[in-house]
Amino acid sequence: MTSTCFIADLHLHPARATIIDLFLRFLAGLTARNTAKLYILGDLFEAWIGDDDDDPVWTPLIDALAALEQRDIPLYLMHGNRDFLIGEQLARRCGATLLKDPCVIDLYGQATLLMHGDTLCTDDSDYQAFRRQVRSREWQQNFLHKSLGERREIAAQLRETSRQAGQEKPAAIMDVNQHAVEAIMREHQVRQLIHGHTHRPARHHFQLDSRPARRLVLGDWYQQGSCLLCSPEEQQLVNLAAD
Amino acid sequence: MTVHMRTNLGTIVLELDSAKAPETVANFLEYAKAGFYDGTIFHRVIKGFMIQGGGFEPGMHQKPTREPVKNEADNGLANDTGTIAMARTPDPNSATAQFLINAKDNDFLNFTSPTPQGWGYCVFGKVVDGMDVVQAIENVATGNAGGHQDVPLDDVIIETVTVEDD
Repeated sequence: MTSTCFIADLHLHPARATIIDLFLRFLAGLTARNTAKLYILGDLFEAWIGDDDDDPVWTPLIDALAALEQRDIPLYLMHGNRDFLIGEQLARRCGATLLKDPCVIDLYGQATLLMHGDTLCTDDSDYQAFRRQVRSREWQQNFLHKSLGERREIAAQLRETSRQAGQEKPAAIMDVNQHAVEAIMREHQVRQLIHGHTHRPARHHFQLDSRPARRLVLGDWYQQGSCLLCSPEEQQLVNLAAD
Repeated sequence: MTVHMRTNLGTIVLELDSAKAPETVANFLEYAKAGFYDGTIFHRVIKGFMIQGGGFEPGMHQKPTREPVKNEADNGLANDTGTIAMARTPDPNSATAQFLINAKDNDFLNFTSPTPQGWGYCVFGKVVDGMDVVQAIENVATGNAGGHQDVPLDDVIIETVTVEDD
């Protein structure tokens, strides 16, 4: 019996060798777990400064992702709030299809909405304002035209600012807003949503217009691996230990 | 040189700087006096960034324009809150009719060097009255329309642009 695997929020960074290693082992193990498809719903990278990033630390990772095609495992990639500068060039190198956020897929007969999840945190107005700026083509063109060194520096500053801001923000505004969840599920006419970003893995059951609906949240890869395995019969949140 | 931009959400009054952006102002005034902007919309609105218009009619029908105008962004004027600048494609000298009004100090739009990457967006004036109207426009609900993002769900129409004779 095959399964479809969803992961997000790996936040891979050159300094996090243990988790990069865990991810490479995870990819190697996909066949043994009968994985038919792999979806990465954002923040694969802690930061992605442009497809021209020539850091050799990424080569084994890109090669392992590209090898999935040979193993008949289609790979789908979505932008996260950290790696939204992933472009077609990197997607091609990884053999991945870039998905829009949000997008609807047919998951074993159930229309399922896939998102990274940051756009659901509507109570965090500071973040949403920041997001609007950095997702504009003007900001991105301006950023991508800077040197790699300058971009790495800016990315480091943005991460530090984000980390500090995160410590000051009430936890509640950093989670999804239920009204935003219901609105977007209604808009796309789905009863199942899968997303990451909040690092709060869970299965949420609720009523959407008097009918059952489900929101499945993926876990992050800070301490261990985490994936959602879906089959026609069930959805399982699985942890993978980093040894 | 003062220009009144009457929209369905109120009037924005702009003072244009023909000393610092002579060709850009002349180009804009030619469109304005010909009535080109009348009936166009603010078709790209991003809260906390800018409002952009002057190129499409309701239904996202793009109006044909004249030849592009030279980029005069190296005039020392910054894309600060309330300034009006020419919109363009990644080609630095591609501005024709569309303009944007900055809702914030958008440093990353400023000229840094006369290179394709560094040219920036040419500021040619500023809002002197009606910043509340700019803010109202900035806050309208937006969505996707015909492949364009950040399009106001209800049309924000530029009813008429009139030039005050100084």
